[in-house]
Order: sequence, then structure tokens, then C-alpha cells
Amino acid sequence: MKTEEILSLAEQIVKSWDWATEVSRPKPNQLDVKVNVLNELLPIIVGLRVKRLGYLSAIVGIDLGVQVNELEVLYYFCPGDAVIVLRVRVPRQNASLPSLSEILASAEVFERELREMFGIEITGLHETEHLYLPDDWPDGVYPLRKDFNPSTLTVQTEKA
Amino acid sequence: MEPNFPAKNFTIPIGPQHPALKEPGLFKFVVDGEIITGASVRLGYAHRGIEKAAEERNWVQDLYLIERVCGICSHIHAFAYSLAVEQLANVQAPPRAQAIRILVAELERIHSHFLWMGVSAHEAGFDTLFMYAWRDREKVMDLLEELTGNRVNYSANLLGGVKFDVNAAQAQSIRSTLDFLEERVRHYQNVVTHDEMFLQRTRGIGVMTRSQAEVMGAVGPTARASNVPRDIRTIAPYAAYSQFPVQMILDTRGDLEARFEVRLEELFESIRLIREILNAMPEGELTVRMPRRIPAGEAVVRLEAPRGEVFYFIKSNGTDKPERLKIRTPTICNLNSVVRLAVGHQLADAPMILAGIDPCFSCNDRMVQISKASDGSEYSMSWKELRQHGIDYYKRLSK
Repeated sequence: MKTEEILSLAEQIVKSWDWATEVSRPKPNQLDVKVNVLNELLPIIVGLRVKRLGYLSAIVGIDLGVQVNELEVLYYFCPGDAVIVLRVRVPRQNASLPSLSEILASAEVFERELREMFGIEITGLHETEHLYLPDDWPDGVYPLRKDFNPSTLTVQTEKA
Repeated sequence: MEPNFPAKNFTIPIGPQHPALKEPGLFKFVVDGEIITGASVRLGYAHRGIEKAAEERNWVQDLYLIERVCGICSHIHAFAYSLAVEQLANVQAPPRAQAIRILVAELERIHSHFLWMGVSAHEAGFDTLFMYAWRDREKVMDLLEELTGNRVNYSANLLGGVKFDVNAAQAQSIRSTLDFLEERVRHYQNVVTHDEMFLQRTRGIGVMTRSQAEVMGAVGPTARASNVPRDIRTIAPYAAYSQFPVQMILDTRGDLEARFEVRLEELFESIRLIREILNAMPEGELTVRMPRRIPAGEAVVRLEAPRGEVFYFIKSNGTDKPERLKIRTPTICNLNSVVRLAVGHQLADAPMILAGIDPCFSCNDRMVQISKASDGSEYSMSWKELRQHGIDYYKRLSK
């Protein structure tokens, strides 16, 4: 499939029904989709998967800071030359996202990373053990958040 | 002495000490007798917090930090980072710089594939092939040293170009080394496709079908051995790859033998490509002037590392430091697939299946602990013993 066909097909999917999505084309090969209602995330991804556009390249978490008080999560789908990014925002407190692992087995490791690095609860994720962080890492400390303070970890090094 | 276990499911942790692997991992295999019935992966033993550290350093410092993400494919990371920052700053490195970048990337692919071939041969108990492969790999390392001054962490990239040029004498020594290597690869290809003992360890082992590979998100040679057309150099050419196109190597079988063949064919392709680059090297500058300020924005770069697709995401907020840098390496995608692939295989095949995806394995000893579920007593096995177990198992079979 040509890049243009992929992008127009993806655009068709994310604009179907009455989904509250905002679509833009920041680059010729990129489709940028803001998913404003969290419940619409999974159906959109199922749509991409059914149309064979569901190669999930990465899930990127970004902490927008204490002022904005939100976390942004970007799902990068990269079929062929095209880049389709789905953006969702969740509040920093009690952040929660649905798991894609039932739809895309490859999402599991990315979600485990997101969970421990940003403190976003992933509902429906089977494996909830740490993937990268040590087993005795303190609860509620998320290293990729902007307000992470490494000096709080001194107690931990003494423990060993 | 054989430990005496009741017939129950055991969990066998393999790892976590894999010192040369960027992500040394702990693989837990649940076995029923000799058959693997479940597997899981635990990483992070070498997690250095590079993504976080990059947020604390400026754009130029990060280039040196990023080069150290991986000890084997260091160039591809600095390459990806440079491309992403150039994309943010809206500048293009000059054509000659782009050609030198892919030249080094292909040399790196050759040394990485040789390294992998040696390690997997070692896991199969074929140490002669291991020694020869690593001897020949030294030739590529010497070339890289001659070009850049370093065997690893070549530091070839700058933001906006490359640090060094390739002169006529260097081009000549690359050409003559390539002639030697091409001959060797042809020999190894013959060995891995005809040696009966070796084929016993690779043919029909660790089969991944095309749909499995697609669903599990496999990348690189692992995916291409299962006929998934996923080579970023071909499907989304970057730097000078549109000028020097690459032929994608695919195989339909999806087993370990196919993974060997795909990588060996790729070596021929890399050799051909390097010759072509040397013959038609674009003339011109090596660097372009970078703006002092990197404008705010987001950049995504996908590159084909020796092991598969590398994904870089950089968000800039207009200051001298990146707001967020995300690195997704190919090994994490392939580990996921290996963990599922291993189910149903013999424990004796585990070392080869793990090595088959090329997770930057080292040949150091790893502890394998067999814990007994019912009464808590434990039996330990080193990686060496597990490897030996695999070799002995197949020796017994062939008798």
C-alpha cells in the first residue's frame, strides 16, 4: 500500500462514527490523531488492526509537568513508510489507560514500561511485575515524571 | 548427578547475568519435564536511566550519551539521534555526510552479524565456527578503527554531519577487506546450510509463522526470516538509502536456519552496498551549520539497526535540553516474541532460540537455578551447563 493510501484509510477509520478525534497532518507521511474520549481508543486501534495498519512501533509517555497536571501518551503505529500517532491525555493523579494487549500482543512490554515509569495504571494488563525497575523499588515513585527526585532513593541503596 | 524430581512443573530462571547484552534479561521458563510450557521475561539489570539523563543534558552532550546506549550498534543510536535533532532544527546533513553515515552503519551491520553468528554457533556447541567468525569480525573492527579511530563508539556523527572523511587509501583498504569477507561469508553460508550436526540444531527449531511475527511485532532479521517485509532501509529510506537502495532479504521458513540465512544474505547485501557507496561517493562538505537553538517540536526517526527497527522520539521545548527522549530498541520487540515462541520446545533448544534473535548475547557464564516447587530444595545449573545439556541432548538423539 502507498503511504497516501495508508494515511487516508487511517483517517477514515479515526473519523468514523461520531468519535471526538482531532486529525492533522504535521508531515507528509504522518497522521496526528488526538483522541479526546478515552473510551474511543480501543475501538480505533481495533479498526487499525483489522485494516492491517496495526504495527505498533512504540508507546511514548510524556509528563507535561506539574502545572498542566497531565500525562500525555502517544501510540505510534508505523505501517510501511507512514506514521500514525494517537494522542491521549490522562490526569497525573490516578492515571489509568486500557490495555491493548488483548488486541496487540506486542503492546504488553511497552505498557509495563509505561506503568512503572509514569505511574499509569493499565487496566487489563496480565503481567504487572516490574520490567525495568528493581523489585524493591519504592511504590509511588515514577522516574520519568518531571518531579522525580533521585535523592529520595538513598534509603534504598543502604538496604542492600 | 541427575537430580531426582517428582513430575511437576518447575520454573527455571535463566539469567539475569548477560553482561554484553544491552538489556541483560532474566527469562523464566516453566518446564514440564523437558518441555517448556510457559515463559516470561524480566529486564532492567543494566537500566542506566539514559532517557532521564538525556533530559538533564544539552543537545550536544546528549550525542555522546546516546552513542553509549549500546556497545555493539553504537553508531546507529547516534545516527538516529542526529537525524532527529536535524529534523527538529530543519536542516539536512550534506549528501557526503549522509553517505559516510550509512557506510559506517553497514560496516557496523557486518561486524554485528559476524558477532551474532559466532555467539549462536557457540550456543550450538560449534566452537570452530565461533572462533572463525570472530577472527573475521576483527577485520571489520580494524576497518572501523582505521576510519574513525575507535573500534567501538566510533563517534562518527556530529549534529549536522560527520567528523571524518574517507580518503582514497581508506577506501582501498575497505575494498580489499570486503573481498576477503565476501569469500568468508560464502564459506559460512555453505557451512550453516550443509553441516548436518548444525542443521539438527537449527532446522525446524523456533518456528515463527508470518502472522505470529506480525502480531508479536517482531522486527529486523527475525521478522524477515518469517517473511514479514519489514526493513526500514527499503520501506522508508532515510539518509542516503534512497540514493543507494537496499534489496530486502526475505525467507518463508521462519525457523533458526532461516534466521541464519537471512543474516548471511544481508552480509552480501551490505558488502555490495559499501562497494557501491565507495564507487559513487557524493562530493561536498561534511557538515552543515546547525542553529544554536533547537526549535520546539516533535521528531520521530526510524532506522534499521543490525537487529531491526530502532525508534527515536524527541520532543523539544525550545531550550538547550530535550524535553523528552524516547528510545525503542529492536531487542525489546523480539524478546517479546521469543518468550512466546519457546513454549512447546525442548529445554535443550532454549539457548539457541534465545540466541536466534540476536539479543547481544555474551559468552559469559549465567546462573540457571532449577527450583523445586514442592519442597523448596534447589538445584543450580550454570548457563554453561545448560548449553552443554543442549549439546549432549542432541548428541544422544543422533546416536
